[in-house]
Amino acid sequence: MNWLDLSSSAFIAAFFLYCFGFLFYVMAIAGRKWSHGDPAGHERKWGRIAFIVSALGLAAQLTFFFTRWIGQGHIPVSNMYEFMTFLGMAVMLAFVIIFLIYRKPILGMFALPLVIIIIAYASVFPQESQPLIPALNSYWLKIHVTTAALGEAFLAVGFAAGLLHLLRTVDYASKEKSARRERFWVEVTMFMLIVAVGFIISVFSFRMAGYEAEFRQETADVTQAGEAVSNVETVRYTMPPIVQPFNSELLHADAFLGVDEPLLEAPSWMNGINAGRKLNTVVWSLLTGAILYGLLRLAFRKQLGAVIHPMTTDIDPDDLDEISYRAIAIGFPIFTLGALIFAMIWAQIAWSRFWGWDPKEVWALITWLFYSAYLHLRLSRGWHGKRSSWLTVIGFVIIMFTLIGVNLVIAGLHSYAGV
Amino acid sequence: MFQNTKCECGHQNPAGTVLCEACGRSLDEGGAAEELLEMRYDGAARRSQKSHPSVLDRIWNFFSSVKIAVYMIVITLIGASLGTIYPQENTFLTTQDLGDYYRDTYGLSGEIYYALGLSHTFESWWFVSLLVLIGTSLVVCSLDRVLPLYRALNKQQIRKHESFLLRQRAAYRGDIEGDPEAWTDRFEQAARKRRYKVIRKDGALLAEKHRFSRWGPYINHIGLIVFLLAVLARAVPAWQMDQYVTIPEGDTVRIEDTNYFVKNEKFTVEFYGDEELPAELKGTLRAKLYRTDAVLYECRSGCTAASGQPELVEVARHPIEVNSPLEYDGLKLYQFDFDNKAVLREVKPVVIDKATGETYGPFTLKMRDPETTFEVGPYRLELKQNFMEFAIGEDGNPITKSRDPKAPAFIFMVYGPGLDEKGEPYIYFPMQKDKAAFSQDKLNAAIADRLEIKVNGMENVSFVEYTTFLNVRKDLAMPYIWVGLGISMLGLVMGAYWHHRRIWLRVDGSRATIGAHTNKNWYGMRADLAAALKAAGNETDPKSLDNGGNRT
Repeated sequence: MNWLDLSSSAFIAAFFLYCFGFLFYVMAIAGRKWSHGDPAGHERKWGRIAFIVSALGLAAQLTFFFTRWIGQGHIPVSNMYEFMTFLGMAVMLAFVIIFLIYRKPILGMFALPLVIIIIAYASVFPQESQPLIPALNSYWLKIHVTTAALGEAFLAVGFAAGLLHLLRTVDYASKEKSARRERFWVEVTMFMLIVAVGFIISVFSFRMAGYEAEFRQETADVTQAGEAVSNVETVRYTMPPIVQPFNSELLHADAFLGVDEPLLEAPSWMNGINAGRKLNTVVWSLLTGAILYGLLRLAFRKQLGAVIHPMTTDIDPDDLDEISYRAIAIGFPIFTLGALIFAMIWAQIAWSRFWGWDPKEVWALITWLFYSAYLHLRLSRGWHGKRSSWLTVIGFVIIMFTLIGVNLVIAGLHSYAGV
Repeated sequence: MFQNTKCECGHQNPAGTVLCEACGRSLDEGGAAEELLEMRYDGAARRSQKSHPSVLDRIWNFFSSVKIAVYMIVITLIGASLGTIYPQENTFLTTQDLGDYYRDTYGLSGEIYYALGLSHTFESWWFVSLLVLIGTSLVVCSLDRVLPLYRALNKQQIRKHESFLLRQRAAYRGDIEGDPEAWTDRFEQAARKRRYKVIRKDGALLAEKHRFSRWGPYINHIGLIVFLLAVLARAVPAWQMDQYVTIPEGDTVRIEDTNYFVKNEKFTVEFYGDEELPAELKGTLRAKLYRTDAVLYECRSGCTAASGQPELVEVARHPIEVNSPLEYDGLKLYQFDFDNKAVLREVKPVVIDKATGETYGPFTLKMRDPETTFEVGPYRLELKQNFMEFAIGEDGNPITKSRDPKAPAFIFMVYGPGLDEKGEPYIYFPMQKDKAAFSQDKLNAAIADRLEIKVNGMENVSFVEYTTFLNVRKDLAMPYIWVGLGISMLGLVMGAYWHHRRIWLRVDGSRATIGAHTNKNWYGMRADLAAALKAAGNETDPKSLDNGGNRT
């Protein structure tokens, strides 16, 4: 068994340990009512089991990380799969640190699903270890990527605590307009998380079924010399084409539910090489997410927020607000160091300029500006509690766009491959 | 608006003071007695709070407002995000017809994007102005707050008013059993154990730690100001250089506007072998290494092209790779790109006298920096003009389209037997395709019957396989950029990872009243206070110390 095989096994172990850790956390929090009169003891006991299992998961993932490092000879943060798994591990690490300060098991109920989603998302990307291209061959790869991810991980834990704070404080009994609006947006946030799950489910279901469809797409382009040229390319879909690429012709498609041709065509402005396929993926994710959400609503017969809200009532909302703020206060300097300062130092060495307004750089700056606005609003304008928690939700959306959206939607120097 | 700023204790405070500088009593008559105190800047008046502001004061006030600062940050953030929708102009090598490019590539939205100037967001006047405004706000906000805060923290009163203590977010009131002096001693010991500095005066106590963390945000701001000034300083032309040099393998090229020459001794490009690649990448070209073995020379004399052979002294030598530039005295050379299209380096043609059939030569003709006279047998060739990429311009005269020898042409004045004494012109195309395309023989007309210059066989032609492109940079502001960022980071760490904590205690008879304040992490603050109380003899649940309400 070589290092890389060992690494893959450790990854699978980590994934399942995280899943069990999450289940135990749910047991610790939601199971309090079945505890025969000792809810505090029940939470302590199951919270400890959940923490131990999750920590074992982290140990397994660290094994995955270091064995892969040894196996491929360079740090595994050089493509989307490796980076996202590292981010998941960093979120786990940040959660462990924040948990050891505050000791609130309910935090695990929110941090672990985040880790699981991030790691499952990572597995969508090609997992082969690839040798480094010259641009990445620098010790700054280790320093920049790891610190940036760790900073983002703390900000993500700040989001988990912020969302929890919202679920705790939003009024699920009131009929007031403001309370209804808040419930709506909490529900939107939950829905977005479920769409992320929907994306992962659709990718893996169709991958397991071995689905394939192919299109021939003609795209217009302008060369550097200013000549108009048209390229003909084959676009391969791994999900049934609801949307076909713009200006394309179907070569073949496996039948799905008896349908073997696309329903719609992508609009003309989505004429990039993979724009049609990405749009199709988004449609499938929304669809699967919506079905999943609908099933959950049917099962519980109330808003998902209203399902979770009663589990949170034992924790002091001020403590949650503090945990969220603390996580962000810890993460912000690390993010500044990793995503901006180290990034500038490396850019100066590799690209001869410390700043070049590359989309990824700009979005790292946007993230930084957003969180500095958060800190100023909180410290000088007294934005605490709900307002501050809503900001953590927006902040998390910005981080996710910086990490994933920029690579998939906007091309730039940092582009990794997309699905 | 008239505001009474004289406290009941008799101290006269500056306008805008929230908490009396002397005793800490709230000066805000309207606030409810049970509400928590506003502890920001310790209740001191900011510089911008004046009862009769002048115009200058009003400008100062504008920039000193955190609300305005947040607005500026949010507008910058939105503006920057607009700049990432489509590629910026500076990502293209040419600047011609970019409007057409945006329209053709992105349609109507691309056209609008270009027309609005969003295609150069980050160089636009409004974006740069926003950065300057933020910089100004950084300076003013910091000055406005740091001086009053410094004064307030520097002359703290130990004994505070009871209302000040009980309206802190962490507060305690309880009875002391036994000797109050001994109780306070135990409290002090516990606080000192947690590394508080303790001052006692008249039955009152102040325990304080990590005050320096209060300066963190201001140090961070100073760092950002230094950084922004350094960025502005990069606009000074003498501090900046950014150019590209193209060097075929083996050539030495002058870096324009400097006395430096750089030689490309050897260019190496390596690709990963199939055995190093995972299954899905097998058979593809994946670069492993780009390297220019470069030598940097400093020119001592004869440096301009006109003055003949330059005298070069080697000053640095470095294998330049993507993450490893050559550095010498503020000058940096980066691997930027390479070209592996074979480029003609030199030819060795011969001169043929068509009358006798006699062949003379060969002589060596370099494409770059050729010699100007050649003695070949009985002939003498003087180079009058050379073209790297020959073409006929719109006015009918020959021009060169580029500086790369893609279609080189040489015009010689030829002297020798059977030729005019004043010499006769001869145009020579070393490449066979150009010779045909531009009909060399027709151009040479009369002389073509008597004389021919041509290359015999490929062994007399040599190519450069690789050409390297290096980016030459000088950026004298860089040290200040790094210093600014370093200061900023130091301030962030100071402010985020340490917390200023204070505990005020006053003992009246056998009753202890305690207030505690921190700017973050109330958890730790309450734990500290509860530990000191426990040591003194009054065990308390940390959570019960929480006064609730807003926090700062």
